[in-house]
Amino acid sequence: MKRVFCSSNLKVGFAGAFFLSIALSLISCTSKKNNLANELRIASANLKGLDPVATGDETSSNVIALLYDTLFQYQYLKRPLTIEPNLADGMPQVSKDGLVHTIKIKKGIFFSDDASFSGGKGRELVSQDFVYSWKRLCDPRLASEGFWLFDGKVEGLDDWRKAVQKDGKNFDAPVPGFQTPDSSTIVIKLSRPFYQLHNILAMVYTAPVPKEAVDKYGKEMVNHAVGTGPFRLESWTRNSQISLVKNPHYHGVYPSVGDTGDAEKGRLAMAGQKIPFVDRLIFYEIVEDQPIWLKFLKGDTDITAIPKDNFDAAIKNKDVAPDLAAKGVKLDRAPGYDLTYTSFNMLDPLFKNNVNLRYAVAQAQDTKTTIEKFQNGRGIEAQSIIPPELESYDPNFKNARLEFKVEKAKEYLAIAGYPGGKGLPELEYMVTNSSTARQGAELFQTDLGRLGIKVKISAVSWPQFLERLRDRKFQVTGAAWVADYPDAENFLALLYSKNASPGPNNSNFSNPEFDKLFEQAARTPPGPARNALYQKMRDISAEQLPIIPSTHREGYSLYHGWVTNYKANSVIVDRFKYVQIDVPKRTQLKEKL
Amino acid sequence: MIPILLGVTLITFLLFNVVGGDPALQAAGRYATPEQVQLVKAELGLDRGLPAQYLFFVKQIVSFDFGRSWSTKQTISKMIMDGVGASLSLTIPAFFLTVFLSISIALLIAYFRGTFVDRAIFVICLAAISLSSLVYILYMQYYFSFQLGLFPISGWSPDWLERWEYLTLPIFIFVSISLGGSVIFYRTIFMDEIFQDYVRTARAKGLSHTAVLFKHILRNALIPIITIVVIEMPALILGSLLLESYFGIPGLGGMIFQALQSADFPVIKAMTFISAFLYMIFQLISDVLYVVVDPKVQLK
Repeated sequence: MKRVFCSSNLKVGFAGAFFLSIALSLISCTSKKNNLANELRIASANLKGLDPVATGDETSSNVIALLYDTLFQYQYLKRPLTIEPNLADGMPQVSKDGLVHTIKIKKGIFFSDDASFSGGKGRELVSQDFVYSWKRLCDPRLASEGFWLFDGKVEGLDDWRKAVQKDGKNFDAPVPGFQTPDSSTIVIKLSRPFYQLHNILAMVYTAPVPKEAVDKYGKEMVNHAVGTGPFRLESWTRNSQISLVKNPHYHGVYPSVGDTGDAEKGRLAMAGQKIPFVDRLIFYEIVEDQPIWLKFLKGDTDITAIPKDNFDAAIKNKDVAPDLAAKGVKLDRAPGYDLTYTSFNMLDPLFKNNVNLRYAVAQAQDTKTTIEKFQNGRGIEAQSIIPPELESYDPNFKNARLEFKVEKAKEYLAIAGYPGGKGLPELEYMVTNSSTARQGAELFQTDLGRLGIKVKISAVSWPQFLERLRDRKFQVTGAAWVADYPDAENFLALLYSKNASPGPNNSNFSNPEFDKLFEQAARTPPGPARNALYQKMRDISAEQLPIIPSTHREGYSLYHGWVTNYKANSVIVDRFKYVQIDVPKRTQLKEKL
Repeated sequence: MIPILLGVTLITFLLFNVVGGDPALQAAGRYATPEQVQLVKAELGLDRGLPAQYLFFVKQIVSFDFGRSWSTKQTISKMIMDGVGASLSLTIPAFFLTVFLSISIALLIAYFRGTFVDRAIFVICLAAISLSSLVYILYMQYYFSFQLGLFPISGWSPDWLERWEYLTLPIFIFVSISLGGSVIFYRTIFMDEIFQDYVRTARAKGLSHTAVLFKHILRNALIPIITIVVIEMPALILGSLLLESYFGIPGLGGMIFQALQSADFPVIKAMTFISAFLYMIFQLISDVLYVVVDPKVQLK
C-alpha cells in the first residue's frame, strides 16, 4: 500500500509539472496584435537617450528627429538632397560676405504639453529657444559630441565657452554670434564664412529644447522629450520599445515635389496633406538579427533593414526574392552617403615619404571581394573620397591607382624600393577587436601577402583604438565615414591638416595646396566654382592617396505592401513622419504571411 | 567577508582605473580636443590622485550611486533596478521549474536505476547538453514563434500579467537548455546516496524503495542541492544574456552585454563589483542553510 501511495506522489509531481507547462502555454496564447491600428512598427537598435545634445548615435537621432524639430530639413522626395525651411519661415537672408544669416521662425508652433510648463500646457516656440539650445550644445560642461557644428565658426563663442568653463553662471551671458532681435527672428554672426550652416541647422543636435524642461529634468532630459516634432513621447521601456503618438497640431505637410519615378510609385498621392499620417509609431529595440528578420516576415514590423545573414534569402539579382515579392514585400535602395577607406598614418616615415608604397598597397586591395564578402554586394567601388549623390561627384572620374592589379602593385613596390617586399618591415594594421573588423584585416593581410608584404594584425579595444588614433600611434587602419550632411566638404575635411588627430583627419595628411583649396572652398558659396575647388582637392587626394578610398555602401530596406510613401535616406532622419499605413490592406496581406 | 569585499573593490578599481586605457578618452568622444578630455576627466573625478579615486569608488558602492553610464547617460543604479526585475521574471521561474523537473526526473531514474528507462534518459540528457544554447534559441524561436505562431517572436510588457505572453517561450528554452545537465547532476547525487549504509539499513527495516527515495535519500541529498541552487542565484539575478537579447527582454544580461560592447566602463565596473558581492552573499547564505538542513554541520 505504501509503495502505491509513494508512486502516486511521483505521478502527482509529474502531473503537476505537465499542467504547469500547459498553464504557461495557455497564458502565452499569442494575442493577435491589433492589425486595425494605424501604427507604424519598426525594429531598431537600442536607444541611448532622447536629449538632442547628449546623444549622437544614429538610432537615437532617428527617434529624436521625430520628437523635436529643426529649423531646416531636406526635401523628402527630391534628389540630390535639397534643403528647405521647417521651423524656419523661409530660407535665411545671408549677407554678401556670407557672415550674417538672418532667420525668421514660424509663429504658432507649440512645444508638447509637459509638467515643466506652467499649467502643463506647452508654450509657443520663440527664437530665444534656439539660442538657449545652441548655447547648451556648446556648453563645455555638457561636452556634447555635436559641439563641432559651431566650433570655430560663431562670433564670440570661444570666449563665451571659456567664461562658462570658468564659472557656470556665465551661461546666461550673451554669445555675440547668436542674437534674437525679437521673438521670431534669429541672427547668426559667423566668424568665417560657413555655407554649410543651413545643413547643420537641419541636424537634430540643433533642435530647440525649452529651458523650462531642462531646468526641471536636468540630466534626466535623456528620458524626457519636450519638443515641437511630429510625434510626442507616449512611453519608453528602455531596451524594449518606445512608443510615440501623433502630434495633432504638427505644422508639416507632405511634399508636392518629387523625383523621377516618385509619382509612378504613388509617392505624390498625398501631396499637400497634413503629416504625420500614422497615429502611433513604435520602435522595438532588438539587437539580434533573427528576431528582427522573423518579426518582419511575420508582419509584426512594417519596414526593415536586411540582416547580413538573411540577405541571400531576401534579395535575388538586386531585387526582392520572388517568394517575398508574392507576399507584397517591396525593396527600397538608397545611397549610404558614406566612404569606407584604408588610412595610412602619414606621420610614419615609411609612408610619408613614399607615395609608391601607398600606390602598391592601393593596387593590391581586392575591393570587389570586400563588397561581396562584407557588404553582400551592397556597395560600389569608390573612385575618390567624394561619394555619389553629392553635387560635386563626377561619375566619369576614375582613379586607375585604385584598380585591383597585383602586377602593377608589384611594380610600384619595386619602385618604392622594396621589390617583392624585401627590406620592408612588417606592417601593423590596427583594428578594433570585433570579428568583422578582424576579418577585414585578414583580407588586407591576404591582399598584401600577394606582394610579399607581411602584415601584423593588431586588434585592440575601442578605447585603445581611440587612444592610438589620438596619439597618432598607428601605421595603417581601416575606417568609415558617414555624411553628417550632403556636402563634399564633410568628406574632404578628412584630409584638412587642421583636422589632424584628435580631429577626423586620422591620416594626419598635411598638404598646403589642399589646405589652401579647402579654405578657399569654405569662402565660396555653393555652385560650380565651389564644385571645381572640391574636384581639385579630390584630384590631390587621388594623386597622394593618404587614404585609399574603398567603397560607397548602399542601403537596402524592405517594406510591406501596406506601407506607402516610404523612401529611404540615411540623411533624412525624420523620414517616418511621411509614411502611411493602409490598414485594410495590412489585414488582407498579413493573412498571406 | 569585509576584507574580501575590500579586496574585490581594490581589484575592480585597479582593473578599470589603472590597467586599462584612459577612460576619459572614451567618455569624451572620438574627436574631443585635449581640453575637452581634461574637462571630462574633471567631471569623472579622474584628475585626482589614485587614492582619492579609490575612495570615491568605495563611496559610490556604499551609497549605491555608481554615477551615470557613459553610453546612455542614464543613472546606473536606475538601470540596474529597471533590469533586475526583468531578468528575475525570466530566470527565477525558469530555474525553479528546471530544479523541480530535474529532481523529479533524477528521482525517477534513481528509482529505475540500471533499467532501460535509466539508460535512455541518460543518453537523451547527454545529447541535450551537447547542443549549444544558441541552437535551442534559434530553432525554438523559429519553429514555435515563427512557424507555429504559438508565442510572440520577441517583446516585453511592463505589466506583470501581460509579460508572461513574452516570457513563456524563453522560460521553456531556459528549462530545455538546463534540464539535461541538471538531471545528470542530480542523478549522480542520488546514486551516491543510494549505496550508503543508511539506505541499506532503511531497506533492511522493510521500507519501500519509494519511501527510501523520498524520506531518506532526498533529504540527505539536500546539501548539494542547496549548494547548486544558492550558488546559481547571482547568475539568475544577472540575467541571461542570450535569451534576453533574442527575446527583447530588458534585463541585466542585455545591459551588461551592451556595456561591454560600448566599453561603458562605469556600468562594467559597477556590475563587476555587484557580481562579486552577490556571489559572496549567496555563498554565505548557502553556509547558513547547511546548518539548517544538516544538524551535523555547525557554524564556527
